[in-house]
Amino acid sequence: MKVPLSWLSEFIELEIGPEEIAEILTMGGVEVEAIEDPYQSLGELISVKILEILEPQELKDLVLCKVTDGKETFTVLTTAKEQVKLDLIIGLAKPGSMTFTFEKVEIKNIKDYKSYGMFLSPYEAGLGEEKDKLLILPQDSPVGESIYKILGISEKVLDLSITPNRGDLLSILGVARELNTLTSWKFKAPYFEDFLKEGEKFPGKIEILDKEGCFRYAGRFFRKVKIKESPFFVQKKLWLCGLKSINNIVDITNYVLLEFGQPLHAFDWEKIEEKIIKVRKAYPKERLLMLDGIERELEENDLVIADAKKAMVLAGIMGGEISGVSEKTENIFLESAWFNPKRIRKSSQRHKIVTESSYRFERNIDPEGVIYGLLRATELILKIAEPEGYSEIIDIYPKTFFPPQISLSKQKLTKFLGFSIPSEEVEEILNKIGWVKKTGYGFQVVPFSYRQDIKIPEDVIEEIARIYGYEKIPITFPKSSLYSPEISAQLKFEKKVKNLLKSLGFFEVITYSFIDLASLEKLNLAEDDLRLNFLEIANPLSITQSIMRTTLVPGLIETARFNFFREVNSLKIFEIGKVFFPTQNILAKELIHLGILIMGYANKEVWYEDLRKFDLYDLKGYLTSIFENLKIDIDFVPYSSEPFLKRGISFDLYLEDRKIGFAGEIKNLILKEFDLKTNVLIAEINLEPLLEKQKEIKKAYEVRKPPKYPSTFRDVTCILKKEIKIGEILDFIKILSIPYLEKVSCIKIYEGPPIPEDEKSITIRFWFRAQDKTLKDEDVNKIQKEVAEKIFKRFLAKPR
Amino acid sequence: MISEEIEKLEKEVWKDFQKIENLYHLEDFRIKYLGKKGKINWYLKQLKDFSLEEKKKLGSILNQIKEELETKLKLKEREILLKEEDKDIGLDLTLPGRIFPLGTLHPITKIIEELCEIFLKLGFEIITGPEIETEYYNFTALNIPDWHPARDMQATFYLKNGALLRTHTSPMQIRAMLERTPPLRIIAPGKVYRCDADIRHSPMFHQLEGLMVDKDVNFSDLKGILIYFAKETFGEIKVRFRPSYFPFTEPSLEMDIECVMCKGRGCKVCGNAGWLEILGAGMVHPEVFKSVNYDINMWQGFAFGLGIERIAMIKYGIDDIRIFFENHLIFLESFK
Repeated sequence: MKVPLSWLSEFIELEIGPEEIAEILTMGGVEVEAIEDPYQSLGELISVKILEILEPQELKDLVLCKVTDGKETFTVLTTAKEQVKLDLIIGLAKPGSMTFTFEKVEIKNIKDYKSYGMFLSPYEAGLGEEKDKLLILPQDSPVGESIYKILGISEKVLDLSITPNRGDLLSILGVARELNTLTSWKFKAPYFEDFLKEGEKFPGKIEILDKEGCFRYAGRFFRKVKIKESPFFVQKKLWLCGLKSINNIVDITNYVLLEFGQPLHAFDWEKIEEKIIKVRKAYPKERLLMLDGIERELEENDLVIADAKKAMVLAGIMGGEISGVSEKTENIFLESAWFNPKRIRKSSQRHKIVTESSYRFERNIDPEGVIYGLLRATELILKIAEPEGYSEIIDIYPKTFFPPQISLSKQKLTKFLGFSIPSEEVEEILNKIGWVKKTGYGFQVVPFSYRQDIKIPEDVIEEIARIYGYEKIPITFPKSSLYSPEISAQLKFEKKVKNLLKSLGFFEVITYSFIDLASLEKLNLAEDDLRLNFLEIANPLSITQSIMRTTLVPGLIETARFNFFREVNSLKIFEIGKVFFPTQNILAKELIHLGILIMGYANKEVWYEDLRKFDLYDLKGYLTSIFENLKIDIDFVPYSSEPFLKRGISFDLYLEDRKIGFAGEIKNLILKEFDLKTNVLIAEINLEPLLEKQKEIKKAYEVRKPPKYPSTFRDVTCILKKEIKIGEILDFIKILSIPYLEKVSCIKIYEGPPIPEDEKSITIRFWFRAQDKTLKDEDVNKIQKEVAEKIFKRFLAKPR
Repeated sequence: MISEEIEKLEKEVWKDFQKIENLYHLEDFRIKYLGKKGKINWYLKQLKDFSLEEKKKLGSILNQIKEELETKLKLKEREILLKEEDKDIGLDLTLPGRIFPLGTLHPITKIIEELCEIFLKLGFEIITGPEIETEYYNFTALNIPDWHPARDMQATFYLKNGALLRTHTSPMQIRAMLERTPPLRIIAPGKVYRCDADIRHSPMFHQLEGLMVDKDVNFSDLKGILIYFAKETFGEIKVRFRPSYFPFTEPSLEMDIECVMCKGRGCKVCGNAGWLEILGAGMVHPEVFKSVNYDINMWQGFAFGLGIERIAMIKYGIDDIRIFFENHLIFLESFK
């Protein structure tokens, strides 16, 4: 909402400068976003000196002037042949600037000549009526300077951000009233002469058929108005508020809308069939060609202003093409109404039209403003459209609006604010927002008609606090009973996992919850995969963010790619976030997943080790560390069923009998489709079952004592077939129930000469320890020998 | 005289001892004086020809020298051995160490954790809830009916099934109040969504909601809590409170902090205002209490909501919100 201070000062005596006014409004709850000078915003409108005047024959009516702005010399074409003189200092709009008439100035080419800008008339500069004259500046003016600076002209316009509850502030008058409330500066209320209220008999008929949609409908007929251009003072005010001038009648409706906040609409009387004006619901599928040139299909909930035959206007939102005022219009009907804000809002949303008028109606207007707006418009029409006559005001107001009577006790006020304000001060404040009656317990307030936002005692409390000043309110701490709430197990668990991963060198990422369907499709999921049953956004910003993710994989891969293309060749990232699945209800099933991705090299190029790429054993190792720390047994079941992972380099992860995730290397082809040219390993785990499992864990730690007796180890080295898995051997050892065996692991695998090609050499180390004695060598040797023989026999291995 | 000779020997011994510089000297010295055929033993042997009294006297002097010498030699040997180890030129100390890099938590997570800690100290409970919401929880129950222009304040993503992505964490007020009986103190951090994207707006971002309901918490208390929060988060800093409007609070306010960049002088970051808007808050609107069946004559409370990214941007001097969700390694590494 733009408020020119010059216009504002017609209604209130401004005692201080723009910055201070802005501060008062902002601290009163009316945020001033900027203080603008529309003249400065036009761009480079500067003084130039004419150095040379040329009259090339082929340009006919045009002359070519060489001018200087003090820095450069350039050419400008003009039709004002008689007015340009050597050494004259005149106003010029440079290319890229804009004129008062909203014309964008550009470099123009005519024949072989170029015009770097446009000489200005006082009118184009927004300084006065004159259009045919050039803006000639005093001869001693500096060149290259802003013409407004030279002429000492500036207009300060406050750009206000009005909260949706304060429709009453969407006008110059409203802001003046508010300033008066906040400062007590002298308010100059509008005054109307009596003759404006009377008039000839109204030559038509008005009916409100939809009383729920229209609370008040008033209007007046004007005979033989002169449709023409508005005088400069009207145009300038509209321009200061960012509106274009159309013609005097349309301009007056806009003028009153800006000044009083009352939207008006002017009809061409001749276009009203049978001179009947009906406020009614639209007929189903009724069509209306509107001012923006679009024909829309209406529905019953839309409110229209119609004549005997057709809808003329979508009430409160936009006029019709046919019934509007044109240059040929002679007689007009001027409407001023109060429509139901909810109905206007819904129609405006339905048809996606927001206008100055609908914006105000949906934030509710002042019921009394309906008549004031009409009177103000009459005053202006008499002044600038010279009608031959006008009618009485027709005012159909089926149910008069009575503001609510709100009771506020002093006790409630004090309890709510936490401190007490003297009664006299409260009364003084309340007098600014309505009629006040003191009662035994406190106050009764009837808000002024324009304060439609004040309905309940809390609204009144806010007004008191606001006008009293938030800054003056004391600072205290709540008095409340002491209780210490539990920290949710889920948050604790998430934090633990995050910190584990951080310690393992992973970087946490946060990716968007919405993803691109195309990236999900690249995963090659089976048709019946649950992850393809996703929720779709009806109004996405872009197709790449249009479905709710059912897996963290696409987001992680996209993040890897973003990094890869920005010189990152080694990456360890994780994300903990929600995935979303549809349910029978409207709410989704939201599951918390952990995603882990490693990409490229496992280390940096350093002096102490060779560069190597991440492989599955890195991923498996990280996961093992995490699960060990969480004390949860997860099975790594070989050959994941995930179609985007390499079968031979992947696991499905199981908690007891339930699949909770997967880990593995992404297929090269899929990486290629993601445009990623490096190795990527990924794991995704549903954290909910892990959290449930963790809740079952009773003991925090299984504490073991340091050993009393020494351990001893023996190695078994043998050669066996390559395809035999180490895990199978270790599993076999497990079932042998070997006495004193404390630990067993594979410590060496060797393939290559002199071992035959289809075989490998392995070393398995056994640690033995007794709890009650030091083991004798011969006992251990005996056990060892038996074990070795069993292994050789079972796996057809040869000792080495 | 033998006793004079022994005196002379003692002086000689300590003089020689001073000259020991390495293990070879040390060994020579030991042989010379303490060896089987060493000087001390030689004198001890000589004593057999003396009187018992003299034997006793001189023997004890010699033994004393021997003992002291042995102790000192041990110390000397240790000293030399330790020094020996320093003689090695050692390693190239200019080479970097073997690095075991730690990762980092996302800056948004860090800020959320910091804020949670502040409110945990005040006894607030941390809760979380759904990101996909219904119109009812996100708007209607918060006194924002469908015809209300306040809906324009929050551009909403709708799902095709009619649900929506929550536009703020405020639905958690409703959920918390329905699940609990007052008094209550909660905070609810989490993701929220709005159809908006530029350098200041991300279609997904994070908020933290706060709510306190009790018999007597009031507007002055709200100021107290918010100032405490601001000081804990930004250190000693000027704050100001402006009246504002949210349909679910009445009275409502917005809190600004003095611009951290220009210290209130006005700069690009604060749009020359000298202040940065940090959060919105207010007293819980009676309509909100009505929608959760709380007795408005018994309970009153306040609520507040703040943007995590905004706080992160101010604290870390970040000017483009999108950088948080690009997750480039160099950016993430800065939060070590």
